[in-house]
Amino acid sequence: MSRLPQREGQRIDRSRPLGFSFDGKPRQGFAGDTIASALYADGQRVFSRSFKYHRKRGEICGCGQCANSLVTVDGAPGVRACAEPLADGMAVEHQNAWPSLEFDLMAATDRFGSRLTPPGFYYKTFIKPRRLWPYYERVLRRAAGLGRLPRRQAERGWETEYRRRHCDVAVIGGGVAGLAAALRAAELGADVVLCDEDIEPGGLLLAEGAHEQARDLAARCEEAGVEILSRASALGYFDGLVAIWQGDTLHQVRADRHVAATGAIEQPLIFPGNDLPGVMLSGGALRLAALYAVSPGESVVVSTCERRGLENALLLHNLGVSVAAVADLRREGDEELCDSLRAAGIEVLRGTTAVGASGRGQLAKVTLAAVDARGRAQGHPREIVCDCLAVCGGAAPASSLLLQAGARAGYEPGANRFLPGEFPPGVNGAGAVIGNEDPASALLSGSLAGAESALALGFGGAEDRARAEDERGRLEAATASPSPCLAPPALATDGRSEKAFVDLDEDVTAKDVAYAAAEGYDSIELSKRYTTATMGPSQGRFSQLAAVRALAEDTGLTLGEVGLTTARPPWTPVPLGALAGRPFEPAKRSALHGRHREAGAVVKWAGDWRRAYDYGDPAAEALAVQDDAGLIDVSTLGKLIVRGPEAGELLDRLYPNRMSTLKPGRIRYGILTSEAGRITDDGTVCRLDEETFYVTTTSSGAAAVEQWFSWWQADWRLDASITDVTQGVAAMNLAGPRARQILAELTELDCSNEAFPYLDGQHGEVAGVPCLLLRIGFVGEVGYELHCPAPNARALWDAIAARGARPFGLEPQRILRLQKHHILVGQDTDSESTPYGAALGWAVKLDKEQDFIGRWALEAKAESEPPTALVGFVCPGGEVPSEGAAVVEAGVVTGQVTSSRRSPKLGQSIGLAMVPPAAARDGARIVISDRGQRIEATVQTAPFYDPEGEVLRS
Amino acid sequence: MSTAFISPLGSAEAPARGPFADAAAAAGAVTEVRDGWEVVTSFGDAAAERAACASSVGFADFSFLAKLELQAPAATLESAAGALELGSAERREGAWLCPVAPELRLELHPPAAAAARREQLEAAGVRTCDLTASLGAISVCGPRATETIARFSAIDTRPKSLPVSGFRPGSIARTPAYLLREDEERFLILFGAAYGAYFWETVATAAAGLGGRPVGLDALAAPSEVPHA
Repeated sequence: MSRLPQREGQRIDRSRPLGFSFDGKPRQGFAGDTIASALYADGQRVFSRSFKYHRKRGEICGCGQCANSLVTVDGAPGVRACAEPLADGMAVEHQNAWPSLEFDLMAATDRFGSRLTPPGFYYKTFIKPRRLWPYYERVLRRAAGLGRLPRRQAERGWETEYRRRHCDVAVIGGGVAGLAAALRAAELGADVVLCDEDIEPGGLLLAEGAHEQARDLAARCEEAGVEILSRASALGYFDGLVAIWQGDTLHQVRADRHVAATGAIEQPLIFPGNDLPGVMLSGGALRLAALYAVSPGESVVVSTCERRGLENALLLHNLGVSVAAVADLRREGDEELCDSLRAAGIEVLRGTTAVGASGRGQLAKVTLAAVDARGRAQGHPREIVCDCLAVCGGAAPASSLLLQAGARAGYEPGANRFLPGEFPPGVNGAGAVIGNEDPASALLSGSLAGAESALALGFGGAEDRARAEDERGRLEAATASPSPCLAPPALATDGRSEKAFVDLDEDVTAKDVAYAAAEGYDSIELSKRYTTATMGPSQGRFSQLAAVRALAEDTGLTLGEVGLTTARPPWTPVPLGALAGRPFEPAKRSALHGRHREAGAVVKWAGDWRRAYDYGDPAAEALAVQDDAGLIDVSTLGKLIVRGPEAGELLDRLYPNRMSTLKPGRIRYGILTSEAGRITDDGTVCRLDEETFYVTTTSSGAAAVEQWFSWWQADWRLDASITDVTQGVAAMNLAGPRARQILAELTELDCSNEAFPYLDGQHGEVAGVPCLLLRIGFVGEVGYELHCPAPNARALWDAIAARGARPFGLEPQRILRLQKHHILVGQDTDSESTPYGAALGWAVKLDKEQDFIGRWALEAKAESEPPTALVGFVCPGGEVPSEGAAVVEAGVVTGQVTSSRRSPKLGQSIGLAMVPPAAARDGARIVISDRGQRIEATVQTAPFYDPEGEVLRS
Repeated sequence: MSTAFISPLGSAEAPARGPFADAAAAAGAVTEVRDGWEVVTSFGDAAAERAACASSVGFADFSFLAKLELQAPAATLESAAGALELGSAERREGAWLCPVAPELRLELHPPAAAAARREQLEAAGVRTCDLTASLGAISVCGPRATETIARFSAIDTRPKSLPVSGFRPGSIARTPAYLLREDEERFLILFGAAYGAYFWETVATAAAGLGGRPVGLDALAAPSEVPHA
């Protein structure tokens, strides 16, 4: 393992070696290494196989931006080796190659399959015969890919914490501009959050020898109170919210002002063989050398079209890297730098660029030449033997977040960049992303952005404003005469047939873009989708500009006319688990939930409640209610207190029947309808006193009914108040032949039928608990609904259960109510059901003088026969048709089964169904079609059990 | 007839149990009956609980607080219960008076004081409803209280947005709830009581990730500062 000499600013700790494995073979690195730097130092040059052609790919960016270094670590795929810190014992494996990284059978697609897989091939080939597509798909998906998710892995149970962070200023990017912005804003008094993708803030300064300045700035930020989030990627800008992914935390940062200091991304050059391992970005080569003491090659050639390439070549040389030559596409400019390079013994070739690279699986030789306007090599190309070509094809501002926020980008030919402008309110840009790339300008623009942000929020004073004005002037002066740069050709070539890649992630070549343009995909958005250029894990970081250049070349448009594709989140690939976050599943539970669990209840969802479905034997539970006594928790019922002098009128306007005529202590059933006369809910209303009504609703309808009442009350402004007490009032239904006796043992109330008749509501203590007792019978037996404070419910439940009332769940309740034809809104009704079609016409009082919601519609409905009628049915054959099964007549669907059960008491299969009116008569035969089975049934319009209600009223 | 059936009534033998009772018991709560309520005095290690409140975050069940809903025209409310500014609660005689809307308020009282207060308000023309059982209450306190709340709510808890006495309705743990800042590092969350078990799990998970834990009333403060305990 060879390393460059130790220097200040390096991240590795040579005193702490770490062992790890790559494809099962032991390797070694140092603490502070990334996986990639350790592998590179150990001689590894091939890190992955490409997505489509399975070509060998090596390190490019050295900072986790590209897809070339994706590996599987300890079973987790898609880890970026060049950004992932090395840890002792890591098991690192290659992806997307078989049987090995070095020898991959699927690499045959590169040699033989290219013609079969042009852009959009999946629209043209493998589509006939259609039935074979699933097999094609399986093969194609296995052939391509970015690693495999194991069936079992820790991430499947990963619970990412969401953390909401409000602040004054959010700074995205921790380079010199971001740090300066954060520092300035914080010094002016703002609460600042800064996020950065690297393991420490500092950006390019860290690799360019200015690590002390970077670390000093970061320390000053922390002293000023800036919260710095490292290894934290800003995923997107969502209407002022910036989502930042940091390991197992997803920060949702809501700031009053945002500063995007996201930098600029060095771009590759497009030439044949530009994907060979050994061809990398000059910044990537520099990071390897400066931060990890790894020489990118024994002999390095640099090819650039602007100043940064020259600077990086000199920095590499100063770090001890052997730089053989520098090709600068520009013929002039930056003469001092060129002189410095020459003085260092480095050959500088002005007016030339890389036009080809070759080698057997790894770079061995680069061809440099002057090129014409279309990128064709001119004159006498020069071949140089080297094992590393560091390229600098300009830079693309990392403007995605700014564009997501609403900024617009335009092409600046002088800068050879698409620069964002027209920032939306509350958003600033700073540093390289807006074109201020040299450290001094970046520092100044960051400071200015931080000041502007803080000043806009009312921090600082006149002196600070003056300083900001001064900085603005200095920044303009500093950027008045930028270093010249030259746009590289869309494809520079010496004429060889080797592939030249525009997009390394997706294996899209310059030829592919031309092919797509020839087929008519001549806008950048269409070209993107057809070729898939920019759609890989890098999100177009290294391919968008190249794709735009290629399309411009193919269509004759300018770069500005071609434009950029829409910027969309996520800017950085993120595991779905991180977005999903820790599961929040708000579940309501009654105060008796613990008791149900203890009794062995099967608990299921019922709306947003967790309810006892049964206690193991629903049939026996139902029989117990009918033969002895049963007890069910109905705390889930919606419960509203409606109070005030005009409470009665309010209810009269909401219900189709009369509620204001109820006498205190009496109960009335009511349905609620929409303006269109459709049933929306039902329940009971008990008048507690002259001005107070107690309204119950369905379990799932409580919130909607409360909103419905409040919505109308906000308009009518009646003297009445509405309070939802659903969650504070527990309710349990004691029912059965022995219910009265049990109740009488627990209360001093007179429970006789004369003193406490059906549909009476009385207040009293039961087992020492204050209760409202409602004599109603949803399950068809003598029954008492006991409503009490939830904190006292357990004592009441225990007292009743101790007297032999058998707990029963939702399922037996459904059997029992079905025997009585008692409907469930939402189950026995649908969005079109009116009271008339649901056998509830009796609950509509069109003769009442008070107008009510839905009156107009119900008056119209009353004049015609409803299209269906809800009736009971019995299946003589004993079948229990599925709920939802079709009622058919002569092969035509005419209705449907809404409820069905086997009644243990009656020994019959019974149900409710919507049928044509003609069939809504006793004895009518209907046919039910249930998953291919024909079931004959007989209509019964009266309840199956106690049709006259004698039991209920007894 | 009356609405007495919605007001909890506990005794030493059959105390009122809040929505956290089962979860707290499973976590090892030590309880005693105060004012008819089963309250958690500690989880067996009051010193560790105090330390959590001092250095990280502790959360405690305050569901026993009496919670009165007041409804009346704004002028009536103002004359009967004093003027309040929306968004800002007021501490008065051991109670929190919390404005929800111009015509709607919540008042939080020691359990023993609620009945008299209701009578007083009703006499002044204010319609009251006892929501003691309808709303659970959990106190989250300590230097990491805001961080804890940030794990399950997007409500802005910065002092400039929610100063001491600040009172906000909002989504907490994806349920409709209220947040009251009782002190710099002490918050009271009022939530639908049926969500008790869910809230306990949510807050406990968030707090545990930050070094926090459930605490009993004894760990929170001197009794004089916990007027209802």
